[in-house]
Amino acid sequence: MRDSPIYEDVSHLLTRSRVVFILIEVLFIFVAFYYWKTQILDYKKYWNQSEANRTREVIVPAPRAVLTDRGGSVVLANNIASFKASIIRENSKNFEDSCRKISLLLGLEEEVLKQRIEKYRSLPLFKPIVVKDNLTLEDVALIEGRKMDLPELVIETEPKRFYPFANLAAHVLGYIQELTPDELRTTFKDRRLGEMVGKTGIENSYEARMAGVDGKIVEVVDSLGRKRDELDRIEPQQRPKLSLAIDYDLQAKAEELLAGKEGAIVALDAKTGGVMALASYPTYDPNKFVNRFTPEEWMALANNPDTPLVNRALQGQYSPGSIFKLVMAAAALDSRTITDQTTFFCGGVIEIYGRPFHCWSEPGHGTLNFYEAIRQSCNVYFYNIGRRMNIDAIAGYAEQLGLGKRTGIDIPGEKEGLVPSTGWKQRTQKTAWYPGETISVAIGQGPLQVTPVQVAAMTALIANRGRKVRPHVLLDAAPFTETTKIPAAIFEQVIEGMWRSANAGGTGQAAKVEAFDVCSKTGSTQWIGRETAERLGGALKKTHSWFTGFAPRNDPQVVVTVLIEFGGMGGATAAPMAGQIFKLYKTKYHDRQSPTPRN
Amino acid sequence: MIDRVQLREIDWVLIGLLLVNSVIGILLIYSSSHYQNGNFYVKQIIWLLISLGVLFLVLSIDYKLLVGFSPYLYVLFLLLLGGLLIFGRVISGAKSWIHLAIIGGQPSELAKVVVLLVLARIFSEFQRTYLSLEFAALSGAVVFVPVAVIAVQPDLGTAVCFLPLLLASFLLAGMNRKTLALLLIITVVSGFVGWNFFLKDYQKQRLTTLVNPGQDPRGSGYHVLQSKIAIGSGGLAGKGFKKGTQIQLRFLPARHTDFIFSVLGEEFGFLGVFIVLLTYFSLLARIFRSVGKSRDRAGMYIVFMAACLLTFQFLFNVMMIVGLFPITGIPIPLLSYGGSSLLTTFVAVGLVVNVKMRRFVNV
Repeated sequence: MRDSPIYEDVSHLLTRSRVVFILIEVLFIFVAFYYWKTQILDYKKYWNQSEANRTREVIVPAPRAVLTDRGGSVVLANNIASFKASIIRENSKNFEDSCRKISLLLGLEEEVLKQRIEKYRSLPLFKPIVVKDNLTLEDVALIEGRKMDLPELVIETEPKRFYPFANLAAHVLGYIQELTPDELRTTFKDRRLGEMVGKTGIENSYEARMAGVDGKIVEVVDSLGRKRDELDRIEPQQRPKLSLAIDYDLQAKAEELLAGKEGAIVALDAKTGGVMALASYPTYDPNKFVNRFTPEEWMALANNPDTPLVNRALQGQYSPGSIFKLVMAAAALDSRTITDQTTFFCGGVIEIYGRPFHCWSEPGHGTLNFYEAIRQSCNVYFYNIGRRMNIDAIAGYAEQLGLGKRTGIDIPGEKEGLVPSTGWKQRTQKTAWYPGETISVAIGQGPLQVTPVQVAAMTALIANRGRKVRPHVLLDAAPFTETTKIPAAIFEQVIEGMWRSANAGGTGQAAKVEAFDVCSKTGSTQWIGRETAERLGGALKKTHSWFTGFAPRNDPQVVVTVLIEFGGMGGATAAPMAGQIFKLYKTKYHDRQSPTPRN
Repeated sequence: MIDRVQLREIDWVLIGLLLVNSVIGILLIYSSSHYQNGNFYVKQIIWLLISLGVLFLVLSIDYKLLVGFSPYLYVLFLLLLGGLLIFGRVISGAKSWIHLAIIGGQPSELAKVVVLLVLARIFSEFQRTYLSLEFAALSGAVVFVPVAVIAVQPDLGTAVCFLPLLLASFLLAGMNRKTLALLLIITVVSGFVGWNFFLKDYQKQRLTTLVNPGQDPRGSGYHVLQSKIAIGSGGLAGKGFKKGTQIQLRFLPARHTDFIFSVLGEEFGFLGVFIVLLTYFSLLARIFRSVGKSRDRAGMYIVFMAACLLTFQFLFNVMMIVGLFPITGIPIPLLSYGGSSLLTTFVAVGLVVNVKMRRFVNV
């Protein structure tokens, strides 16, 4: 057999080979079925996955609306291009390695970088995670240079809110901040995590008119996330610019005057209530919020004892002091408690209900009538009025003049102030109102609290002889027509007193502007009781310094209200500051015979 | 050496099927790599021409002569592989490349054919109905030595491809229950030992990924996932030549080598897959049918082992890329890019044609 292999019986080998081949045929049929299942039955699933692989939606953020002052030419807030570096995790060959390289390149701590990436872990594949924003041009060049080496690091541009004058009108404009997850669930359901929204000021109250409509690009990307093609593009839409009633020059002047002090200045267009200037000091730079604070910066700002974030013009509640005499004056005339010819004698002190009440002038003002009482801001005259009126009547007039409730200004966070009444005392302290307290209220002390913007709105009401205005920052805000029940003639008499205050050697004479007919009232309020102040000595005797007024007398155009915390006498501190505002207004608008600004 | 009868008996259909599948391979290689450096399809064409030349060279030498020489070739290749292990450069993580003047090659690929010849020589002496222990041990040893050397390189994919040769020879030699049981025990024990002592972590991870590819879509499951997406998204007719997004945008890894069949699936769809399954099956079927057209045992073993070798690699690959087997570097002969693999396949099929053309005794 060995010599003639051809006769060998190999049939069993052939059989085995055939069996194996049958097995292989079965396997081929199985493979064909499996591919049929994958490609025909599961086609949709895999098709969608391959589309998700290759396309990427990129949101193009819309810039916020531009804000200008009332002239339309001075831009108070706009947008500038900002560069940010983002990491696309999927493009990183070695995550640890690229974290190390990127932290070195951008000067970030590796741990901070990793924490940030971890925070956005749940983002879909190939979504860039911002690791550093506000890159300088050097940073951008540095990253571009490492493009081949670090494909996972990309540069994105986005419009960034920018306030060209930094601090200027910060309390009017407000600031924007990243949405909190809470806000995302409630107020801003249609927005995305990481977006900036107005947190306060105009940025907040007109958010809907500021935020544009984001654009979208659908890109084709390769496995390294590199853009290969563009399938679709929707351009972002910016909303039209908004003009504010703010006058740049008045605002700048107001802030210049306030610098180094704590207080607020409000200037209103007397006819419309448009806010021409609203300054609160100390202030802050809203650009800082856009740049994402470091925790330290934020704590420093939020815990600053001088509370720069508080808008004193509408959140600061102060005792009105002698400013309140304007309310008392109108109330006394309208309720016929006195007439403009009623006289009282001031000997520096008066005893009412067995207790002495002092005038600010120790020797006293002698016998004076209604107009002189306002001019000199005589306390005794108003004590006498207070003795003849009841507190609820006074409260009624105060509310008619706009105190004790919000003015409705279009900046969020406004405080109501407080006008006391018997009901209020009963509600809050469960005791009856003592008539002696009414005497204190008559000169603006006691529990009374007002905000500077309330005082400004009240002054505009007086200036308009009873027609109310709503202070508003947006130039084209809806007009407001409401008049008080107090007859115009009564305001005319109050205004005569206010005119004398500034022009006839009264307490407001420092605000006098030649040929502008300023009408004013000053105030100096004890922020603690007088007795306590005297007990504590000189340092604390300094009072809050108030001024409010309007001009000109017969065609009121502008209202100015000034409050300086611990500023001393209103006539000495607040009045000259108001005078400068009036003067600036006069030269800019009145002297040029330019048409009165309207809305 | 070749007379006229033998010339007439050359299986041109088989060589034709070999070429058809190689051309399909070149088309797929072109589509999957035309946009990157390397000119892979040009190199593959050059290798195809070289391989065709070598095929005819193989035909010119009587396979019995080659079987006779095979022990010397075996020793030569062992020395070469051993030398590579010591002096070789690391390419894609393994010391498996030999660098010639123009193009490099992997001797471990060609070693398959050498082992095939040695096994054919051993089993040509074997005339009993069932495999005996001595023969099993001897052939096992012959396969184990090169497998061990190649596995250490480490090139698990190539090493695994030697096992079907051994299995094929055992199958043909026949196994009774006793040897079958013994074989099973050896497989289990070596599997256990291999898992615990020899497999690298990344290799183990590939095996665990097979069970659940979704657990780590960006890690070791990434390759399978992208491959399945490519194949599945091809649908019935495919996305078109050079239009597969998974391929052109490089989501699919090892496109022109291990995942060449996924390229087919994405760009030509189920229809393309079905046609290539048919052409490849035709090639394998023709080789299997040639088992009976050999004049001696050695010839039968050569043809059968060559058939099993190609079938194993093909089926393993097409099942691996849809997630039925762990991802192991086993390319598809003829379709995947790779000169050594192409050459080895041509030599193996050349041996089949060689056996077939010399089936009539006229010495």
